[in-house]
Amino acid sequence: MLVAWRYRKRKSFIQSFDPRAWLIFYACNLVVTLFFWDLRFLLGLLGIALFVLFTSGVTWKEMRRAFLFIIGFIVFFAFLTFLTGRGGTEVYQQEHLLAEFRASFSLFGWTPVLKVTLERLFFAASQFARIFGIAIMTILIPYSLDPALYGVTFRGLGLPDKIAYAMDLTMRFIPTFGRDFQLTRDAQRARGYELEKIRGGLIEQVRKLGPLIVPVTIHAIIGSEDIIDAMDLRAFGVGPRTWLEKLTYRTRDRLLIAFGLLLLAAALILMFLGYGSFWVPESLIRAVGG
Amino acid sequence: MSSDLPLIVEDLSFRYRDRAEAAIRGLSFEARPGEILLIAGASGCGKTTLIRAINGLIPRSYKGEVSGRILLYGQDPSGWPLVRISQIVGTVLQDPERQILGTKVLNEVAFGLENLGLPREEILRRADAALEYLNISSLRLRETYNLSGGEKQKVALAGVLAMRPKILLLDEPLASLDPASASETLAMVRRLADEGMTVLMVEHRVEDVLGIRPDRVMFMSEGEIRYLGPLKGLEKAVDYREVKLPAEVIIRRAKADPPPPPLTVLPGAAERGNEPIVRFENVTFGYEAGTEVLHGINLNIRRGDVIAVLGPNGAGKTTFVKHAIGLLKPRSGRVLVDGHDTRQASVAEIASTLGYVFQSPSHMLFAPTVYDELAFGPRNLHHPKEQIEKEVKEALRIVNLSDKEKDPPLALSFGQQKRVSIAAILAMRSRILVMDEPTAGQDYQNYMNFMDSILQMPGFEAILFITHDVDLAVIYANRVLLMAEGRLVADGAPQEVLRDTERLEACRLVPTSLLAANLKRFPRTGRFLRAEALAHLPS
Repeated sequence: MLVAWRYRKRKSFIQSFDPRAWLIFYACNLVVTLFFWDLRFLLGLLGIALFVLFTSGVTWKEMRRAFLFIIGFIVFFAFLTFLTGRGGTEVYQQEHLLAEFRASFSLFGWTPVLKVTLERLFFAASQFARIFGIAIMTILIPYSLDPALYGVTFRGLGLPDKIAYAMDLTMRFIPTFGRDFQLTRDAQRARGYELEKIRGGLIEQVRKLGPLIVPVTIHAIIGSEDIIDAMDLRAFGVGPRTWLEKLTYRTRDRLLIAFGLLLLAAALILMFLGYGSFWVPESLIRAVGG
Repeated sequence: MSSDLPLIVEDLSFRYRDRAEAAIRGLSFEARPGEILLIAGASGCGKTTLIRAINGLIPRSYKGEVSGRILLYGQDPSGWPLVRISQIVGTVLQDPERQILGTKVLNEVAFGLENLGLPREEILRRADAALEYLNISSLRLRETYNLSGGEKQKVALAGVLAMRPKILLLDEPLASLDPASASETLAMVRRLADEGMTVLMVEHRVEDVLGIRPDRVMFMSEGEIRYLGPLKGLEKAVDYREVKLPAEVIIRRAKADPPPPPLTVLPGAAERGNEPIVRFENVTFGYEAGTEVLHGINLNIRRGDVIAVLGPNGAGKTTFVKHAIGLLKPRSGRVLVDGHDTRQASVAEIASTLGYVFQSPSHMLFAPTVYDELAFGPRNLHHPKEQIEKEVKEALRIVNLSDKEKDPPLALSFGQQKRVSIAAILAMRSRILVMDEPTAGQDYQNYMNFMDSILQMPGFEAILFITHDVDLAVIYANRVLLMAEGRLVADGAPQEVLRDTERLEACRLVPTSLLAANLKRFPRTGRFLRAEALAHLPS
């Protein structure tokens, strides 16, 4: 259990709050973001996320990998739905054509056509804003939440001792798992195994991942046995536990929680009043000639 | 007065639920206050089972059939909850990596006290006292994952001591430490005993523990006590091949036996070549920008080399070796394998020259049968099918596992798994064998046999191994690389490199009795030998 996330103490907006307060705010923000499809609201929420990001004190170099992965993922999916027009059809019925590109070739009698419509453009933008906002807020957590406080944070959010500590261990288990994975990958590469060259159908691909998956799993099981012994031998789970770290809410934490709850309430009311669903500016629709 | 004794074990036997044989049988002994009782024996002799029975994990976490009884201060703890036992008996497990739970040192030391639900001030007081006692108060706010092996071991010990046990159980506490850290840990254990703690220490490298004068030694074999008494008697009661005794003792004892057969090292390399197979040219490397962990490494690996890489934890030994097999590429300078720059070669291509055996076999074994496990490498290298079959059979024959061809490797014993992992490299017909801590997790007799057989395997032209064990370098290497802080501090024949005691100590290595015995006799031998061979020098 000895690899940690890349947490460092930083002078930042996000780290100036009690971790419980921040998680409550995070949860409110997440739910609100999931409610809306309206780009105007989503841009506001993305604004909050960007503010938190730029005041987080985490350098681009530290989080580059995580972000490149997420951005690649989002762009790929936003672009895919844009191309196919799938995925947006639950939120809009009518489409207004802006341009149509017809391929100059055809495959077995089928000519690929790309229709650029107003709705598809706005849907792609909304989807991007939505996922990107959530991704930023989520990626920042491991960089900003002190791993030594995981347990007491979950305890402070009302979970029982045992579950809070288990969550704590699980969060910290993820990077350990990553290290084991790397070690096994190195060991197998030294035997000529090349991950990049894995081909074939889904089942075949999973089968070929065996040399990685089996050792990592076995190792995790052996390791967890020792951890359980170590915990048992030091009286874990026998009664109410004292948490050495103490968390106290200050005014700014209460304000943050209040702000999060207010955001949630406002979102509920707006939803109830019929706002927040997918939005394309009327003026643009008229301009296109709808 | 027997109730004053911290620990009495009476006719204790235990059989794990899923095993046919009992792991320990009819053990009876007692331990006195302030005593260090050393428990030695080969893997599978029942040492760990005994520890588990005393600390209460048996039968609470490990189910099975128990008979006989244990008394702690005259009371039978079999009906007690583990929490009550844990305040009398403290246990430090073998691998500190796997038992440290806290992110910061203070949290780790406080873990047990938190679970006892003590008031916060009391927890802080006790945790600080434990840190101070072990002289590691400066680590208080450090993150546990950043600690060195020796520091981790001390922190794990502090976490146990904070619970104020009266009996301390240590399960191979030296296994993952460099020699200097091991001596520091031992000194601390001596002090604890002097202040009244009862210490039971499991360790098969008896020689390493002698410095702290254990009061008595228990030697176990096949679940039974074969010897229990003062240290002096142990030398006579056990086979000097089974536990590691001081070199002069072995030399005395081995005189009566026939001399050991001479080792034919590297029969695959007819003679030492001059052409380098691997060449490091001014190699530097860093995992992160701005920091460098290898500085300007220059060396050649030639046919016939048996190289021991020695150095403290964090010296860059593994990073260095990963460059040779192409898993890491240098930041500046270059590594040539068979004349090709590793930057232009894939790891798979290099694998046919250098085969790397990782420290723990469980990091690589995956296949349903030993045969498939061994065929994995050659298949990846696209060897033809008939050739693979030949390679696998040959490799199995060399590691003496031909009868296990159809067995699942994960069901084998640790030592056998280790041999499978070597065979997997053998089957690829790599010319150079590279091993990281080849003896880790094996007992003395097993790892000596293991090293003997590897060094004599046909097929390899050179061998390189990373180790903490100076004696392995003395016995097996014809070349020693000493590394410290990412630099190559020394490179030469063992008698040249290991002669410089000051330099060894600066690299956190401790001269051993075998090294001393060899240096003393060097004018007569002209080379380093194992203790058994020294016994038969013509006088």
